Amino acid sequence: MEHGLNITYLLRRCDAFLIYTVTKEVCEMPVEQIVAIVIFVIMFALVITEKIEKHITTLICGAAMMLFVFGFCMGWNFEMMWSVLSLESVTHLGFWYGHADHGAGIDWATIIFLAGMMVMVEGMAKAGFFRWLCMTLAKLVKYKVLPIFLVFMVMSACLAMFIDSITVILFLAAVTIELAHLLKFNPVPMILAEIFCANLGGSATMCGDPPNIIIGSALNLSFFDFLSNTGLIAAVSLVFIVLYFYLCFRKQYAQAGKDVDVSSMPDPASVITDKRGFFISIGIFLVVVVLLITHSSTQLSVATIGVVSAVLTLVGSPKSAGHILKLVDYKTLLFFIGLFIVVGGLQNTGVLDIIAAWISSICGDNLMLMIAIIIWISGIASAFIDNIPFATIMVPIIETLSGGNVPMLHTLAYSLAMGTDIGGSATPIGASANVVGVSVASKAGYPIGWGQYCRYMAPATLIVMTISTVAIWLMAGLLTF
Amino acid sequence: MAQEQLIISIGREFGSGGHLIAEMVAEHFHLPLYDYNLLQEIAAGKNIDVSNLKKYDELPRRRFFHRTVKGHHSSPEVNIAQMQFDFIRQKASEGESFVIVGRCAEEVLKGHDALVALFINGDHDKKLERIKKLYNLNHEDAEALMQTTNRKRKNYHNHFCTTKWGDSRNYELCINASRIGYEETAEIIESYICHRFPDLDLV
Repeated sequence: MEHGLNITYLLRRCDAFLIYTVTKEVCEMPVEQIVAIVIFVIMFALVITEKIEKHITTLICGAAMMLFVFGFCMGWNFEMMWSVLSLESVTHLGFWYGHADHGAGIDWATIIFLAGMMVMVEGMAKAGFFRWLCMTLAKLVKYKVLPIFLVFMVMSACLAMFIDSITVILFLAAVTIELAHLLKFNPVPMILAEIFCANLGGSATMCGDPPNIIIGSALNLSFFDFLSNTGLIAAVSLVFIVLYFYLCFRKQYAQAGKDVDVSSMPDPASVITDKRGFFISIGIFLVVVVLLITHSSTQLSVATIGVVSAVLTLVGSPKSAGHILKLVDYKTLLFFIGLFIVVGGLQNTGVLDIIAAWISSICGDNLMLMIAIIIWISGIASAFIDNIPFATIMVPIIETLSGGNVPMLHTLAYSLAMGTDIGGSATPIGASANVVGVSVASKAGYPIGWGQYCRYMAPATLIVMTISTVAIWLMAGLLTF
Repeated sequence: MAQEQLIISIGREFGSGGHLIAEMVAEHFHLPLYDYNLLQEIAAGKNIDVSNLKKYDELPRRRFFHRTVKGHHSSPEVNIAQMQFDFIRQKASEGESFVIVGRCAEEVLKGHDALVALFINGDHDKKLERIKKLYNLNHEDAEALMQTTNRKRKNYHNHFCTTKWGDSRNYELCINASRIGYEETAEIIESYICHRFPDLDLV
């Protein structure tokens, strides 16, 4: 057969060309870029395989980035090392009050805010707030399963706007299982819906999901910026999602729990372990919500709000302060620190500029295509890998892509936020809330496999991703014209 | 002071007759036998349907497509295994005597005073014959089933334990049941246990 008609031969030629092009590109790269990419790939592989604890992996890779890239490859560039550590940023007034310029490196504002919120949430959990809220709402709807299903979805989304979705699902799933035993229904559909709504609620605000904190903090976006953009999309999506899950499970839940005597149900007040702590924690939560909503007017940074929430919680419960501090997830904070150093290495060596140039070469000046690519690539990637490293890498990339055009940068930021926050819902491993929800259900004797999970969650993800794409297109269209 | 508790953990190769031997030993000492029924017990305690759990019994987690967050695993296989390990630990700590087949019990209860850890293996041909007879399979299918099941057991064990499946250093006795027969193997085990705990006085 002629070579020109032989498809196998053509494919081999294409493969050879691709390998040649990639090899040529790599050979032309400065050595520091190659080393930075190798360190990042090793870090990502180790994080995915979980052979070593995640925070140890990122810290070692961060140290390797410092030593090999900024040290050996770049001639011991101490100035760059110092800028990646960003320790000086904490001493600037703008870090605590007003606006701070965010460079490549550790985003201490995100770390401090996360730590503060962890302290506050631990205080609330200890006082029994979450169980009380779930039980109160269940009582309000007279322990009818279908209304509980709908109310818990909305509650999950609302709580996740201000509290990390892991905590929301940890308590909500546990209460759902407890109610399932008492009211004799299958808790799996309800837990799945709660997980999805927690991820959706998290996308609505700057503090709802770690990628949003990273994006918002790096690009100086306010709580209100998120609320009026991703919040609006999340609110519209929530209506569709509640309807979607209702249609999926209405038959299963319509008759459930009808023969159960609800007079024996536990009194919501009985789950409060510490009355004084309970009211204090609600007060602190409300103060923090107000501070977050008004932080663009008060000029208080998220770092300051994090410190305020932690201090108020610890001062409000002095006896439990030590215990609460012990419960803070330091491993996650260390994971973030290591991750920021590695991404800082990629940014300072220009690797992220190459990726931005590559995306730009595909999209050209077509903002709509760029939005779609950012949302869907972020979404698909987040369905299988941790969305936090992904968002951290993508922030400098969208900054480069926007070329200093602020409205365009914000549009891309919301695209990235929706993609990373929502895409993770599609699979059991996509987001932390999914893992926790699936685990809580499995431990209670309701194992959820990939098939069962994706059957309901993947279509829901597609629905919200589509709504997000259309909504951000419309927003971008309004900006353009 | 008399030994009032006895826990016999029996690891086994597929087709070696380990389960049958475990039944004989349990009957001899009048002990409950935990195997597949362990999940039944757990399900009854939690008031849930056991069929949801059975498909994940004694399976390793998938190599990829799982994730851990703050000690929570996305893999149902891991969660079901942990549930069984907790159940075994609880039974042991409550002072109950029992025989348990598989489920990494020799590692889960390592260091427990009442534990006797055993492993039963067998000759390839004898195991194959037993599988063919038990499951009414031809030679090829029996061979395939034996290899698949043993690989699953090995992966399951090695995933959850620091020690290797079938490694003689993890067990007090490793016996090839094909050489002397199942009843004789059970008798040797019973005799060993009587020597190991001369003051055995099960409540």
